[in-house]
Amino acid sequence: MKSAGFTYHRPSTVDGALALLAEHGDEAKILAGGQSLLPMMGLRLARPTHLVDINGLDADLDFIAAGPDGLRIGALVRHANAEHHPAVAEHGPMIAAALPLVGHRPIRTRGTVVGSIAHGDPAAEMPAVCVATDATLVARSAAGTRELPAATFFEGYLGTGLRDDELLAEVRFPAWAPTSGGAVVEIARRHGDYALVGLACRVDVLDGIIDDAALVFLGVGGTPVRVTAAEDSLRGQAPSEALFAEAGRIVSTTLDAGSDLHASAAYRRHIAGVLTNQGLAEATSRIGVTA
Amino acid sequence: MTTVPIGTETEVTLRVNGEPRTISVEARTDLADALREGAGLTGTHLGCEHGVCGACTVLVDGEPARSCLMLAVSATTHEITTIEGLADGDEMHPVQRAMYEAMSFQCAFCSPGFMMSAVALLDREPNPTVEQIREELSGNLCRCTGYESIVRGVERAAAILRGEG
Amino acid sequence: MAVQTSGLGFVGQSVKRVEDERLLIGAGRYVADVRPEGGLHAAFVRSPIAHGRIVSIDTSEAEALDGVVAVFTGADIVERTNPFVPMLMLPGMYTPLFWAMSDERVRHVGDPVALVVAESRALAEDGAELVVVDYDDLPAVPDMATAMQSHTPQLWEKANGNVLLEAVDTYGEVDQVFARADRVITETFRCQRQANQPMETRGTVVEVDADTGHLTITSATQAPHFLKWAAAALTTKQTARESGQALRGMRERLDAFRSGAGSFFGDNQESLQSQDNRGMVSQLRRDRSLLKHLPGMALGVLSSEDFPTVVCQDIGGGFGSKGSTPREEIAVVAAAKALGRTIQWIEDRVENLLDGGQAREEEFTISMAVDDDGTLRGMRVEADIDHGAYPGFPVGAGITKSMQKVYFPGMYRWEAYEMRSRIIATNKGKHIPYRGPWANETWVRERMLDVVARELGMTPVELRQQNMMGAEDFPTRMVTGPTLDETASTRATLVRALELLDHDQIAQWRAEADAAGRKLGVGIACYHEAAPGPPDFFEALSPGSDLFAQEEAKATVDADGTITVFTSQSPHGQSHETTYAQVAADEFGVDIGDIRVVWGNTDTTRFSFLGTGGSRGGPIGGGAIRKTSRSLREQVVSQAATMLEADPADVTITGGVIHVAGVPSRGLSYAEVAGAAAADQGIEDGAVFEAVESYAGKGDGGWSCATHVAVVDVDLATGQVAIPRYLVVEDCGPIINPAIVDGQVRGGVAQGIGAVFYEHAAYDGDGNMIATTYLDYLVPTSTEIPHIEIDHLETLTPGENDFRGVGEGGMIGSPAALTNAVEDALASLGAEVRDQYLPPSKILELAGVIEPEE
Repeated sequence: MKSAGFTYHRPSTVDGALALLAEHGDEAKILAGGQSLLPMMGLRLARPTHLVDINGLDADLDFIAAGPDGLRIGALVRHANAEHHPAVAEHGPMIAAALPLVGHRPIRTRGTVVGSIAHGDPAAEMPAVCVATDATLVARSAAGTRELPAATFFEGYLGTGLRDDELLAEVRFPAWAPTSGGAVVEIARRHGDYALVGLACRVDVLDGIIDDAALVFLGVGGTPVRVTAAEDSLRGQAPSEALFAEAGRIVSTTLDAGSDLHASAAYRRHIAGVLTNQGLAEATSRIGVTA
Repeated sequence: MTTVPIGTETEVTLRVNGEPRTISVEARTDLADALREGAGLTGTHLGCEHGVCGACTVLVDGEPARSCLMLAVSATTHEITTIEGLADGDEMHPVQRAMYEAMSFQCAFCSPGFMMSAVALLDREPNPTVEQIREELSGNLCRCTGYESIVRGVERAAAILRGEG
Repeated sequence: MAVQTSGLGFVGQSVKRVEDERLLIGAGRYVADVRPEGGLHAAFVRSPIAHGRIVSIDTSEAEALDGVVAVFTGADIVERTNPFVPMLMLPGMYTPLFWAMSDERVRHVGDPVALVVAESRALAEDGAELVVVDYDDLPAVPDMATAMQSHTPQLWEKANGNVLLEAVDTYGEVDQVFARADRVITETFRCQRQANQPMETRGTVVEVDADTGHLTITSATQAPHFLKWAAAALTTKQTARESGQALRGMRERLDAFRSGAGSFFGDNQESLQSQDNRGMVSQLRRDRSLLKHLPGMALGVLSSEDFPTVVCQDIGGGFGSKGSTPREEIAVVAAAKALGRTIQWIEDRVENLLDGGQAREEEFTISMAVDDDGTLRGMRVEADIDHGAYPGFPVGAGITKSMQKVYFPGMYRWEAYEMRSRIIATNKGKHIPYRGPWANETWVRERMLDVVARELGMTPVELRQQNMMGAEDFPTRMVTGPTLDETASTRATLVRALELLDHDQIAQWRAEADAAGRKLGVGIACYHEAAPGPPDFFEALSPGSDLFAQEEAKATVDADGTITVFTSQSPHGQSHETTYAQVAADEFGVDIGDIRVVWGNTDTTRFSFLGTGGSRGGPIGGGAIRKTSRSLREQVVSQAATMLEADPADVTITGGVIHVAGVPSRGLSYAEVAGAAAADQGIEDGAVFEAVESYAGKGDGGWSCATHVAVVDVDLATGQVAIPRYLVVEDCGPIINPAIVDGQVRGGVAQGIGAVFYEHAAYDGDGNMIATTYLDYLVPTSTEIPHIEIDHLETLTPGENDFRGVGEGGMIGSPAALTNAVEDALASLGAEVRDQYLPPSKILELAGVIEPEE
């Protein structure tokens, strides 16, 4: 199980990396952490002829910055570094909640937050968190910079709105409001496995009433899946066990999940409902609201 | 800017167990193969080559990482520690000694990965609970032992490192 | 009771592992670590379809690739090899002949069709991608039900449809017993396909001596001697005429062969005469091609100047999967011989999941005839085994069938029993022995007993206790024949397990679980296994099969006093280097560090058909070491007695000092005794004393027994199952090394937990395997395996050697205990557990929380 051959490039500037992407287009892949790309290459399911290694570009891409506008995470921030970063804990509580669920520690040592988003695996946590938090994805190319909303970024299984010549340089999360509660919950076969079903859940509560809610599921389709009917059922209501249970029921009945080796569609729908209940309870309790 | 064209080999210098090792690799050569074939350090094992079994776990700048999921050409800026780098001469590392005393392994094919994970854990958390140990080791597969003896080995190592050994 | 001679007492202690001194510092030497200078690397082109004909194969692009040295198609390998021929033939069975690679037809995804040899594994894989194979699809046979439909194509043209074995074994008046019983209860149970999955894949390094052509095969094999002869026989291809010519002028070899054969036949007359030849008849009735190939192979081997040396060093686990000779390994040997170059093949994990060995996919319909008072009377079993495409070699699904037949009745009293077995070919990876190959008989019997108990309004424990044989019954026989003696202590393990259970705590856990939306359940399973079993066990299994149970060992003392014991076992995690040193040290009266254990080299160890497997390492391999050590000690004592001018009967050995009992001050060391003998005999180096003994376990027999108790806690919201308590009470007799035995038990239980909750070597309806990586084939991790408590009974074995086997038992008892516990937990919800595999979806279906999938 060895990768097919490729030409390796280790540019010394971001512009150098972007020039390589412009030159090689869909024959090139970015190597950051490589924790998803390299196994696919080993299995020869991915076979770029050019690999552009951005690991030398720490000065430009390895940053975590927090301010009034929110939290910015650069393309070379490892899961493990973000997991233990105080700014992430303070300004990105949902990201902090999701990080320990990403693979096992040795994977988090190398894997990057942004790489996980660019890979677009619908069973991964980071894409769902991006959607639930209305994150913005900053794509750079030789032609310029584009800011892409997470809501439309994930287009299909391992497919995103990134162009072949673009580097996903950073992810920006809007400032986290003190009235927002977030939770990331999931069920996996074994500890550290990709989730059978997971939920990135955000609830904004103003004066005891749910002002906004995001319920974004992972592992149930080709992209992170939002269940708007369930979100709608929450808005304008006071948090309560009955309300959450009803949201869970809506999720279970409306979600279109598939069957595979690890779980049936019925199981995934059921679990999505269970997680809805659990996630909403956790999210609201984080902001001191008891259902 | 470095370029290694397809089908060619290049010399890389890795820092392994505190020593520079200059070896010839292809761009596609992963760190595990570079260590095993290039540096002759066959103590790092390949069990699945897709990042799940953990047998190839080494320390990269002190943190556990899969050597099957790193390219050798990309590893030159890091300090790599392998199972061969743990012992101090003939003196086993406390984690190795603890695993010996706890009779942790059977076929021991998985053991290098477990020990590197254990070293990293105890470096970060000198007093882990059994639950923490089980969680931290859950990225390493063992097919022989049912894990209990390995968990005991890590507990024993923690005791040795605390000076209670 | 056994005599223990030294009194040093290493046996019985958790002596630290000798192996660990190298393994823990990264100095182990596994097959992938052997990298001969200039060696080439192999990669196989494998069929992407489950069933089809090879229309054409184009290797030109691959051959043109820089770094590729040669490409062998299936036809090239067929031309250079003999077919894998049936080894253990059973009445009613047909075993297809097959080749190291496929040249006309592919029968499962992963079937090897071309072999690329290149300067590196990566280049070999590059070359493999360039081989173009054109297939004509045949309809896939993905499961047993499809296999038996009338319009389904046959995998093997000479079989009866896709049924390779059909057999009925009857013990007692089954019809009568069933007719007279108060009721008959019938259920069907299904077990999913699983895979052995050692952490080290299979692999081989075939070195060709440039001058002599001698082959040295370094292999991860459980059976080095079998591999040696298989490699020789399968890759020596010549016509009978060529062999005959070669044999002329080889009078010496023929004479030696005749004399060797004569002594073999003399030593094993009884076993050979009792061999059941009905299997051969079944085989030849369907396919006489065996007769075409055997003479050429036999003569080819006989006329060979030289045989391969097989070397095993450290091996990363096997669990049965490294007992079968890989087709790939024979292809690599043939390629190495053809090229005259060293070739290495290290299987990758995808290959290992596809064809490194699969097991346990079996379906059973079982009827128990019982009386209303709880008396078990008769049992009927129909068992279907999914064989996959190719037979294991030398041992495949047939041995699973034979063992299930003998073991199914368990430790219970039955008046009559009948088993109908079928082995059915499908387009899947091959069925091979996996730790306790027969284990599903325990699963089905113990699962069924719970069903019967519930129907009769009894508890599972009451039903078992009422019907289980115990000390007052012994000696007696199982309904299938084997004698049960005092080592058949299953009931004692059950009684002990019940003592150790804290019933109040379980009641409290049950209440807590109920209050929290969970369900707690307790499951019990009891079994016994031949370890190695009484002599008549082999008679019941297959007459004459005791031939394979015996083993020789060798021991030497060199002139400098070095003691070496040579085992024919091929340890791959079982710690023989430590336990055999313990056994030998006690016999020789020396420190454990004074014993050197040699294994794995066919030039220095004695022939053994099986190597390591079947829980034989302790009783048979250990027995052989003990017997041989005793024999050699006698030689040393005899020489020392002369030197000490004493009667040998008065000479004893303590702490390495050989002396007259009570006079340790006037003692001799091994070096002094061996040195003197060497001087007498004019030996300068090498062995001064040598002993070779054969040990068969005959007459000592012995069963290993256990009761497993699982407590499970089922989350009704998620279907996830926790195991708050798991208890094993086992009896493998006196224990050589308790820590090592506990490790064997826990490892087995962990595989049982994997079998029930995590592992499924799944195929889709087109015969595509869908669990081809470790993201989909789920080996449990440290967070899934709980603490496993173990309690030991140590019933002594009558006879010469008292060790009994323990390697397989953990996996035999656990699936039954776990699935019984799940049914107990969900009983109030009406759950009926009929599948072994219980992933979270299935648990919630059983609990009625979600609808079952179509």
